[in-house]
Amino acid sequence: MIIAPTRRNVLLLLCALGAALALVGLGALSLGAVRLSWSEVGAALLGTSGNKETAMIVREIRLPRILLAVLVGAALSVAGTGLQALLRNPLADPYVLGISSGAALGAIVALYIGGRAGAASPAIAFLGAVATMTWVYLLGRRAGRLASYTLILAGVVTASFLSAIILFVLTLLSSRDVRGTAFWLMGDLSAVSDAQLRYLFPAVMLGIAGLYWFAKDLNVLLLGEEEAAHLGVNVPRVETAVYLLTSLLTGLAVSVSGAIGYLGLLVPHLGRMLVGNDHRTLLPTAALGGALVLVLSDTLARTVVAPAELPVGAVTALAGAPVFIYLLRRTTG
Amino acid sequence: MGGDAPASLRVRGAFFFVGSMKITGGSIFLAAAAFVAFASAPARQVTDQTGRRVNIPENPQRLISLAPSITEIVYALGLGDRLVGDTDYCDYPPEAKRKPHVGAMLNPSLEKIVALKPDLVLGTVEANRRATVDQLERLGLPLYGLTARNLDETLHSIEDVSSVLGRAEVSQKLVASLRARIDAVEKRVSGQKRPKVLFVVWDRPLITAGPQTFIADVIARAGGASISQDLRGDWPRLGLEEVLRREPDVILLPRTESFSSSLEDFRKLPGWRDLRAVREGRLYFVSETIMRPCPRLVDALEEVAAILHPVEKTGARGPA
Repeated sequence: MIIAPTRRNVLLLLCALGAALALVGLGALSLGAVRLSWSEVGAALLGTSGNKETAMIVREIRLPRILLAVLVGAALSVAGTGLQALLRNPLADPYVLGISSGAALGAIVALYIGGRAGAASPAIAFLGAVATMTWVYLLGRRAGRLASYTLILAGVVTASFLSAIILFVLTLLSSRDVRGTAFWLMGDLSAVSDAQLRYLFPAVMLGIAGLYWFAKDLNVLLLGEEEAAHLGVNVPRVETAVYLLTSLLTGLAVSVSGAIGYLGLLVPHLGRMLVGNDHRTLLPTAALGGALVLVLSDTLARTVVAPAELPVGAVTALAGAPVFIYLLRRTTG
Repeated sequence: MGGDAPASLRVRGAFFFVGSMKITGGSIFLAAAAFVAFASAPARQVTDQTGRRVNIPENPQRLISLAPSITEIVYALGLGDRLVGDTDYCDYPPEAKRKPHVGAMLNPSLEKIVALKPDLVLGTVEANRRATVDQLERLGLPLYGLTARNLDETLHSIEDVSSVLGRAEVSQKLVASLRARIDAVEKRVSGQKRPKVLFVVWDRPLITAGPQTFIADVIARAGGASISQDLRGDWPRLGLEEVLRREPDVILLPRTESFSSSLEDFRKLPGWRDLRAVREGRLYFVSETIMRPCPRLVDALEEVAAILHPVEKTGARGPA
């Protein structure tokens, strides 16, 4: 770890991350297919812009998208941090373990059924995430112990199995829905509504706060289940809660933005390099860091080939997959 | 966040108008000016081809087209100067390439669309995503959605676009002449033996056009029988083995950049060279307008008809 974990240092770091997020957010607000000056962006934000179009671009297109990136980035990174502690495996990530695919399958099935099920897509994505997580956990457990590689393999196989089912369901959808869905699957933050932001914000905050509640228990859990039990942690209760909370965060993120990969791997890793393994500081660091990384990635995604756009999932995978390989080699030792 | 900003702007506009009306005497001119200023404000509610109710101006002047087929229709109606933006793929007529582009059909840039200040956006079910429609709705930009799965619906789209643009009369001549050309082709090929046709949308893997596409309609009306009439979906995959079994007489490929390789290359591919149509040299490129539900779809129809049922030079059947 780079930073000595004194209370003052941690607060300073979180403030610095918050400030960086605000700066990057402002930068992202001023970048896009349409060139706007800082003063135009400022006027639009303050509501003093005389130009209706500029105001619309800044306040109704860029701002909601950046807010969505903040929420999804924080949700996926915190979910990854929680999973890594729960499974005692630095390679755990909602995407690698197939949990994102489970949530995506849930969301696609909801779309296929349509009507009321379509509206309940976040809830169904959550169920898909919980079911996949349970399945992978059971597969990865050998003689009552979690085997690191078995778990990762179980996740990877489950992810590819679920992808096959997704492809199958896609052939059942009308060609119009297929194109839209395939797009969304690669990770897409462009299609956000105010209503989505309104439920996403409290739900993500609740999920993060819930995991933070168990931060100390997660620290103890890192020592192993038996050791944690000896130290007075109610292991089954903590594990169940962390399961549900990480599934909730993953399901929420996937239902609005598709499967954005590797964020839950990349960010906790960077976070641990900065502040170490204490989840009381690691969780908020991961939340802010994840928001920062996803806002950056999405800004790249929508500016590199403007006015066309890259899928944001491609940008995060480009950055995240090498980190996965690095971690894999290091843990193999 | 103001998801309803455009609505509040409309309300303000209405107040301004009512306010000017109250003032009597010398302000009649002001009221008239206000009326002119708001002549292009939402003035009528129509139901688009997808069943959405949408408020559109009486006489839209700033259009954005989200599909090459729509761009072609607008130009064919002689209203190309009303287009303020189109997609990266709008390449016909050549002038369309010089319009500001808003990106690709599946992921146009919303902010680019907003910045071009359109009073009407035109999109299609076949080319665009539902998410784009939802986002434009959220921003309060009127979008008129079109859908065309055959030649008749394409003609209907042309009529629809021209009436939505407040110029219903300009489509009459165009549609009448297109219909006459379609009728002429149908008359010429009627009663003739229908060759079995394979249309290749993509070669590796082989993807063909399903029964509900305008490609299938063009082939049928040009006097051919598509070998993919019984397949599900719009763009089904077809195994080469199945193609061999179905024995197409003629193979058609769109002349697109994706098929830059010459017909010679196709003749050499394993599997392909065993097909009777390939051995007999009945492998043809057709204009890529067969992929666009626009006036030039009729050009493609004539082209396909000429391939399937060549006009004998000395024949008494008359010109196609």
